[in-house]
Formats: sequence, structure tokens, C-alpha cells
Amino acid sequence: MELFFQQLINGLSLGSLYALIAVGYTVVYGIVQLINFAHGEIFMIGAFGAYATWMVLGQPTDWSAPLSILVLLPVMIIGGIIASVTVALLTERLAYRPLRNAPRLAPLISAIGVSVFLQEFVRLFYGRIPGFPDAKSAIPFPVVHGISGEIIQLGGVTIQMSAVFTVGALVVCTVFLWFFVNRTKTGRAMVATSQDPDTARLMGINVDRVIMAAFAVGAGLAAIAGVAHGLSYGNIGFRMGFLAGLKAFTAAVLGGIGNINGAVVGGLVLGVTEAMATTFIPGQFGSSAWKDVWAFVLLILVLVFRPQGLLGAKVVDRA
Amino acid sequence: MSQVASAGHHVDTGTVLLEASHVTMRFGGLTAVNDVSLVVHPGEIFGLIGPNGAGKTTFFNCLTGLYKPTSGEVRFAGELLPPQPRLVVRAGMARTFQNIRLFHNMTALENVMVGMYTRTKTNAIDAVFRLPRHRREEVESTERARELLAFVGLTASADMLSRNLPYGDQRRLEIARALATEPKLLLLDEPTAGMNPQETRQAEDLIFRIRDLGLAVLVIEHDMRFIFNLCDRVCCLVRGEVLVQGSGDVVQNDPRVIEAYIGSPAEELPSTKPATPEPGTEDGEGPADA
Amino acid sequence: MRVVIPDETKVRFRYPARAVGIAGAVAMIVSILLPWSYGSDALDDMTFYGAPSPLQLFFVILPVLALLLLAVPLVGKQRLGRWAKALAWNTSAKTASLAALGVVVVALAAIAIELGGLINVEPGGWVALVGAVLAVAATLFLPDSPEPTLDRLKSPRWLQITVIAVLMAVLLFTAAYALSLDDAGDFLVFAAFAVGIVLVLRQVGAFAWLGLAAANNNRVLVLSAFVVAFAFPFTQNGSDANMSIASQVLIFAATALGLNIVVGLVGLLDLGYIAFLGAGAFTAAVLSESAFATIDFHPPFIVTVLIAGTVASLLGLLIGAPTLRVSGDYLAIVTLAFGEIFRITMNNLDGSDGPNLTNGSSGIPGIPDLNLFGFDFGDPHVILGVDIGRFANYYWLMLVVIAMIIVVFMNLNYSRIGRGWVAIREDELAAEAMGVNTFALKLLAFAGGAFLAGVAGAVKAHHDVSVTPEQYVFLESAFLLAAVVLGGMGTVTGVLIGATILKLLPEKLRFFSDYRLLLFGLLMVFMMRFRPEGIIADERRQLEFHAEDEELATDVEEDLITHHAHFNPERKGFEL
Repeated sequence: MELFFQQLINGLSLGSLYALIAVGYTVVYGIVQLINFAHGEIFMIGAFGAYATWMVLGQPTDWSAPLSILVLLPVMIIGGIIASVTVALLTERLAYRPLRNAPRLAPLISAIGVSVFLQEFVRLFYGRIPGFPDAKSAIPFPVVHGISGEIIQLGGVTIQMSAVFTVGALVVCTVFLWFFVNRTKTGRAMVATSQDPDTARLMGINVDRVIMAAFAVGAGLAAIAGVAHGLSYGNIGFRMGFLAGLKAFTAAVLGGIGNINGAVVGGLVLGVTEAMATTFIPGQFGSSAWKDVWAFVLLILVLVFRPQGLLGAKVVDRA
Repeated sequence: MSQVASAGHHVDTGTVLLEASHVTMRFGGLTAVNDVSLVVHPGEIFGLIGPNGAGKTTFFNCLTGLYKPTSGEVRFAGELLPPQPRLVVRAGMARTFQNIRLFHNMTALENVMVGMYTRTKTNAIDAVFRLPRHRREEVESTERARELLAFVGLTASADMLSRNLPYGDQRRLEIARALATEPKLLLLDEPTAGMNPQETRQAEDLIFRIRDLGLAVLVIEHDMRFIFNLCDRVCCLVRGEVLVQGSGDVVQNDPRVIEAYIGSPAEELPSTKPATPEPGTEDGEGPADA
Repeated sequence: MRVVIPDETKVRFRYPARAVGIAGAVAMIVSILLPWSYGSDALDDMTFYGAPSPLQLFFVILPVLALLLLAVPLVGKQRLGRWAKALAWNTSAKTASLAALGVVVVALAAIAIELGGLINVEPGGWVALVGAVLAVAATLFLPDSPEPTLDRLKSPRWLQITVIAVLMAVLLFTAAYALSLDDAGDFLVFAAFAVGIVLVLRQVGAFAWLGLAAANNNRVLVLSAFVVAFAFPFTQNGSDANMSIASQVLIFAATALGLNIVVGLVGLLDLGYIAFLGAGAFTAAVLSESAFATIDFHPPFIVTVLIAGTVASLLGLLIGAPTLRVSGDYLAIVTLAFGEIFRITMNNLDGSDGPNLTNGSSGIPGIPDLNLFGFDFGDPHVILGVDIGRFANYYWLMLVVIAMIIVVFMNLNYSRIGRGWVAIREDELAAEAMGVNTFALKLLAFAGGAFLAGVAGAVKAHHDVSVTPEQYVFLESAFLLAAVVLGGMGTVTGVLIGATILKLLPEKLRFFSDYRLLLFGLLMVFMMRFRPEGIIADERRQLEFHAEDEELATDVEEDLITHHAHFNPERKGFEL
């Protein structure tokens, strides 16, 4: 039973990470019906942006725990958000917007191109910034005292402080998202546009701006996820966005793509499933080497049996 | 064309080709079609009229398998129709669309040949090895497609891209494409929408000639004069329900029909279709997507 | 390049402009008699007076063309007769001048980089540069010519066939020459020259004429293309280095052609295609005679190939059946996930995380050479006095595989099935409503494409000697997709060209290999933005990507009605 709770905690932490990224897929899909393949890379850029911010601050390693948590971490997060939002908006403007009336294949291929480009760009050029470490292999993420490596013991269950941060970040972001969607003008415009872009345009909504807002919100959450990833795993690399992006997309489909709550639920379900699979599937196939495979098998099962996702949403069927 | 020879207009009222019984279609709380029953006989031209939003196209979509009715059933030649468009086509029912849906970057000839898909059998192996069946069917399909184009009066346009055809020709091409599926019943969704009076008369003539091939035709229209010239029987739908059903005269003189349309005497019946299509009932975009 | 010069100015300066242009062209021609480079290490030794190097000789073709295009019209329109209208004299001269300028700039840059500074450029190089700039500037002042109508001229059949044959021979020579250039600078200068020639020919109107000739002599074209491809190993004098590259290019091209069925014909985005290649390769590896093969069943290769293809297509069915019902968007991401599942599974089937099938990340090495009907592909031999090595054997085998894939591609495309695919691409709902079994047709393409990849993979396993999971990762799928997009979705020639360019460039330009993926990522974005139909455009694809371009639609239709050669289902395809 202890093992069960331990894995539940691990799963929720992992799932929160997926959920934070999944929101980006779902918001963008809901509005422009585009699977933004490059979103995983936006998450990666967020982590590297946070790292760069830490470098600019003079690589502080000896700040006290309160100072690290209250000043260093927020500043790094803001740095990450600025980086990822900038890249996401540039991508939207340069690679997607010109293709809005093209056949469906065109933006998908463009998105693949952006994804490959961003990965390679970071790999080749991050280390060229004076003083920055070479990004061709993984870079150790800065230590934030009070979070990195700290644990809480709760009975027999070990909780990493980084997991607390990740789950906490998801809670805060979900509240923020709810407020944004339901209480702000831009958020309501987003909902309207996702339901009927043409009518929204007639109602005077600036659809371009709404789409940019969607990309920005998704990128912001992805950047927070990037920092959470760095804190949890201790390092970041140019390739980290690929698998995380795929998993997050799975989470978005699981929850019902286009449905923001669905992305959160889907992320958590996927994270917990993955954690449980490595513990409770007996034999060789239960080893952690297979956990990614189980996640994708889940994706395919969902598509077969419940393509509209757990919470239901627009079914992807625009024949 | 072998069928052209079989002439003469006779409705076989003894047999039933299409039988829709108690068809109801709900989208969430909205009932778009409510308990509609009707029967089409072989060789008959049946009209479906009704004001905007009466659920005519939704009903069409229920018949052709695009929607699965919430309740009720549709029988075709005695068999229950499977709720899948391509199986409906195979059973012998073909349709056109209110907002023309041709394959725009294919030629007129190719469009018609796509319609023959269910009636041809060439498989991947035949095609890859260019086996006799492939060759035979290609020649036959091409010939038959040209005949069909000639039948609707598009002989000269065979090699034109369908997107470059004038509007009226596009409508006729859609009919040729539907005929290529060798239907027993042809469903036409507003075949004269956007046409001028002369084109409308040509369309009328074309539908009569189709009927003379021995096909039954179910047609949705707004244009009253067109409908009453054409149809053996007419059904008027209002708010998803059958208001009145019967011969042209009966429906034409029913005061409720007039009222449903414009709420004024018969002399002012609209003779041309209102400019705007029905919102919410365009193909494939029912309220389900909202 | 668009420089807008008012028409009156053009008319006023037409004679001086022509004169200056001719002078520029002459200067360029003279320049090859002068040294371009101070040191002999740069490019192919351009240091002699009066003895041009091979690259200089290639280069001079462009100014000679420019000179002819500028000078011949001076003899008068009457004497030129119908040729006066057939060729776009002025615009072609402009293109030739621009191409020459491009080659000069690349050459001078190469000299400067290889020898350290522009100081190493000798007078000849500067004369060429000045001449090119003069010619370009002058041709900008010439009035634009009307569209070339070379394709409207009647030409006898023998001429068409001769031109096709000559063209193929030139192609063979070009490929052999390009491969023999080991220096990146040489290669780039030659590539610039080749691109320049192609652009000039297109501007002259030769391509339109050729397209017509090709359509009229389809079989001659295909046959001669294969003869030339077959003859290629004889130009290599037994050099295995180039043949290795060539056989890799063919394997890559075969796989890209298979992907093109899925992406180009049906419009489904398959991002895990490399996994099907991998499935074929692993199947062939575990069934091979390698000491590391894990299955004790070693059928002859003919059987292995069929098993490999079948395994790949079964995987395709497994992935396609659930996803193809939903939507194309999902297919893209599910295939991406599938590629990842494949890699992870191959890594895990190592005996500790799962049953041992693939030896995990170390893969299966030591796969012996193919043996088909007693012929060992590892044996070198001598034909017509030329050494034919191991890679040449595989090269020829891959030619056969490619021929097979092309036949499948074309014959399916021009059939009832191909029409169904186009209908699906155009309007899936309408296709379904017209009775087309869209699901079955999509599944057919998806599983069929997987089968072809499996076959190519089986040959690749033997060609590469070892098979490891890391050869079959997502980036390779993206690379394949880039080849299809660059070359032209839905075309055979285009994808062959795209695959060749993408595989050859990194081999020849080593300095660039680290940036290869970066540039290919950018390439995909730029292609989608500016030329989604690729280098060679499939006309229907082009129409789809430019839905609002009425002029294009009319042009295509005009082609269609006059030549009756493009979409005509009765004529395309290969009879067997």
C-alpha cells in the first residue's frame, strides 16, 4: 500500500508536468485546429531560458533557501517564460500564420520543420554564447536551495520538494487559466473563437490576437514545466522536448483535445498510469524501460475507444 | 446508354423504394427532425419543401447515412439502410449537395469516374500489374463517364477542371457524378440554387429525363414553381415536422403551407429561392458540432 | 530578383544596354584565359594563362549563352523567323547573366576562404566578376520578353528522342563528375553552375518543350533513364567510396518514394515511416546468417524480403486501423509515437528488459552479404574491363527495387484507386458520400507504403552490415519527409531529385554536415511557405496548394486540353 501511495505521488508529479505542457497543445488546437509539433521544443526553450537567466544573474549557487525560492526561482521562471513566449509567437507569425488557408498538410509539415530547427538551433548555438555551457549534451540544471534534492517524509512515502513545486505550479496555473478564460476579455474571446471563428470575427474579435494569446498562454505554462523538469531531473538537454511533447500530446488527447480541463485531467491520468505501470505490471515488461511504450499504447487505445477523450470535446473529424 | 431507351413515365405505386418511418434527429436539446415518415415509389419525383431551418437537409443526411437518426428507421427496397454513406450509395441511393462539393482539382470526367467507385472492382493487384480487369474497366468507365457527361450536356467540358466550370455546369456535373453510382433513387439538394430562370428550366428538363430512365428522384427545393411543375407528390416540412404530404395540388392549395412560408395569399408565393442558405443545416455542419 | 525599371527607360536604353551586356559577356569569356586564383590549392587550379581549368570551362558556357542570347537578335527578327517568338531572348539573357554572376561569386568566395582572403583572387577573377555585374546590370535594362513558346513549335519525333537521349547522357556525366569532386569548393561551384544552367533552360522555355517531349515519349524517357542509371557504376572505375554514397542515395530514395505514396498521393502525414524501414531491416537481420541473429531460421533472401515487407505492413495495419478512422491529424502524431515505440522496443528486446530478439542497443552486426540465386553481392568482379565492387552490386539491386516501387506508385496513381486517393485529398466527406471506401483506401496506402519500406529495409540491413536501433530515429523520418517536400509531393522525378540532393549534399559538404538538420528544418518551413509543391510540381498538388490562383488553374487546364497528357487516365502508367 505504501508503494501504491509512493507511485501515486510520483505519478501526480509526472502528470502535473505533462498537464502543464498539454494545455499548450489543447488551447492552440481548440482555436486553429493545428497540432503544434513544436510545442515540445517551446517547453525545452523555457528550460534553457531559465538557465540563461540564472547565468545572467551570475550563477548564484550560495543563496539561502528563502532567497532562492522567493527571488531566484521566480526570476528564472520569468526568464523562461519570456524566452518561450517570444519563440512561440515568432513561430506562429513566421511559420503558421502564412499557412492558415493552406491545405491541412502544410502547417503540419511546417511545424515539424520548426521542431527540428529549434532543437538543432539550441544544440548548435547555445554553447556559442560566451560563458555558456555546450548544449550538445545534457546540462546540469541550477540548484535552487530549498527545492533541489530536498525531500519530505510522510510515513513511508518520500515526497521530493521538486514534486511539490510541480504539483503546486499546476494548481496555481489551473486557477490562473480558469480566471483567464472566464473572467478576462481575451479569454472569453478565445472561447468564442474556438467555437466559431467566423462569427467571432464578425463580432469584432481580433482573431489574430486571440491566436497569439493562445500560443503565448501555452508557451508560458510550458516554460514553467521546463523549470519544473529541470528541478525534478537535475538536468536539461536540447532533446528533452521531443518525448515530453509526445507525452503531453497524449495527455491532451486523453482528456479530449480542445478541452482545457481535459488536458489537466489527461496529464494527471497519464502520469499516474505510467508510474503504476512500472510498478504493477509484472515481469520484464513492467521495467521502467517500457513505460513510454505503455503511455503510447494508452494513446492508441483512447483513439480506438474514446476519440473524444475522457472529458469529451470536439472530435477531431474535419473530413 | 442502354437505359436511355426505356422511356415513358409511370409511377409504380404498388412497390415501395424508399420508406422512412418515424425518423427523428436530435442534436442535444434541439430536435431538427421530428417523427418524419414518407414513402417514395420507383419512378416517382418526390418534392421536399419547407422554409429555412425546417430540417430538410438534416433529413437528407439521415437518409444518406451522414447522420444516424436518433430514432426511427429508413428502409430502401425493403432492406434496412446501414448508417454509412458509402454503403447507402452501394444500396442504390446517391445525392448531390446544397453547397456543391465537387472534387475541384479533378476534371469533369474524373469526377464522374470517382462516382463509379462502388460499381467497379479493380483492386490494387489489378492496377499494379495492369491486369485485364483493370484495362477493361478503365475503358468501360471512361466510355460510360463520357456518356453520362453527354446525358447532362457537358460533352465539351470533359477535360475541364471542375473548379473552372460555370456554376450551372457544376450543378449538372454533380448530378452526373451521382448518376455514375448507378442509383435507383437520386437525392437532389436544391438543384436550382443560384440558377437563372433559363438554367432552372434546363434543370427541370434534366430531372424529367432522369425520371424517364426509370429512376426515382427526391428533391429539396425552395422554388415553388419548380417543385410543383416537377413533382408527383410533395411533402412540406416545418420545424422538423411533416406539415402536409400529398399530390402537388393538395400541398399547393393547403393554406397552412402558404402561411408557413410567408403568411400571405397564394398569389405571392415566392418563385425564386431566398438568397441565403439555411443556417445550421449545411452538409456535415449540423448543430452537433456547436 | 525584381528590379523595376520603367518601360520608357528600357526602350530608350535598349541599344546601349545590349552593347554593354555583350561587352560583359565577352569579358567573362576572356577571363577564363586569365588566372583566377593565386594558389593552385584553391578549386581546381585556376592559375594558368590561356589554359582554363575544367570548372572555368563549365563556367564559360553561361556567358557564351548570354552572348548568343544578346547578339543573335541583332541579326533581325525577320531572319529569325518563328524562333524570334519561340525563345524569351531578353529574359533568358538576364537569367544567364545572373547565373554566371552566381558562379563567379561562389568561386571567388571559395578561393578567398580556401587561401585566406580576397587578396588571392587574381585579375581573371576580377574581370569575370566585373563582366558578370555589367551583364546583369545591362540585361536589367532590356525590355522583358513575352513568355517563350518553344513548346508550341512542331518538332519531329526523332528530335525529341535524340534530345532525351543526349540529356540523359549529360545527366550521367554530371552525376559522375559531381561525385568525383572531393573538394567542397569545387562541388559548390559546379552545383552553382548546374543550377544556373537549369534556370536558363527553364527561362528559355526548354523545359516546357521537354515536358511535352517527355509526355510524348514516356517510355523512351523511362527506359533511357534506367539505362543511364544502370551505366553509372561503369563511370566510377571501381571506386567504392562513390558507389557507397550512390547506393545509400538509392536506398534513401526508395524509402522516400514509398513515403511519397502515403504523403504525396493520399495526403496522410506519416512521421514514423523510418520505423517501417527499421522493421524490415531488423526482420532481415534476425533471419540472416549473422552469428548474432537470434532466430534459427535462415530462409533465402527472396523469402526474407517478403517476410520483412509483411512484418512492416502488419505493423502499419496495427497503427493505421485505429487511427485512420479518426483523422489525419491524429495519424501524424500517432505515427510519431509509433516511431518512438519501435526504437524503444528494439532497444529493450535485449534479454534483460524483454526477450532477446535484437541484442538491444548494440543491434545485430556481422550481417553477411546478400546471396541471390548463388550470386554473392560481396564479390567484386570485372565487367567490360571495369571493376565492379560490392556497392555497385547493391546499387543495381536497389535500382530494381526502385523500378518496382515506381511501377507500383504510377500504376496505382493512374487507376481507380488513385482517383479515390485524389478524391479523399480533395474532399473526404464527398468522397465517402459518392461511395468511395475512404478508410480502406487510406489503410491500403498506409500498409502498402509500409510494405515497400520493409522491402527496402531488408536490403539495407545487408548493405549496412549491421542494424542498430539508433539508425531508425525520428530525425531520419523528418529527413525523409524533407526529401519528399523538397522534391515535390506526388511526383516520382521530384522525390528522386529531392532524395539525391538531401543525401548527397552532406556527403560532399562535410563542413556542413553538423548543420544538416538545422537547415532541413528551415527548409521544410520555407518550402511550405514559398513553394509547397516542391522543385518538381505535380500539377494537381500545385492547384491544391494554391487554391486561389485562378491563372494557374487556367494554365493547367490549357495544358490539359492541348496536350491531353496530364490527367488522362488512359495513357499514364506502365504496362507490364
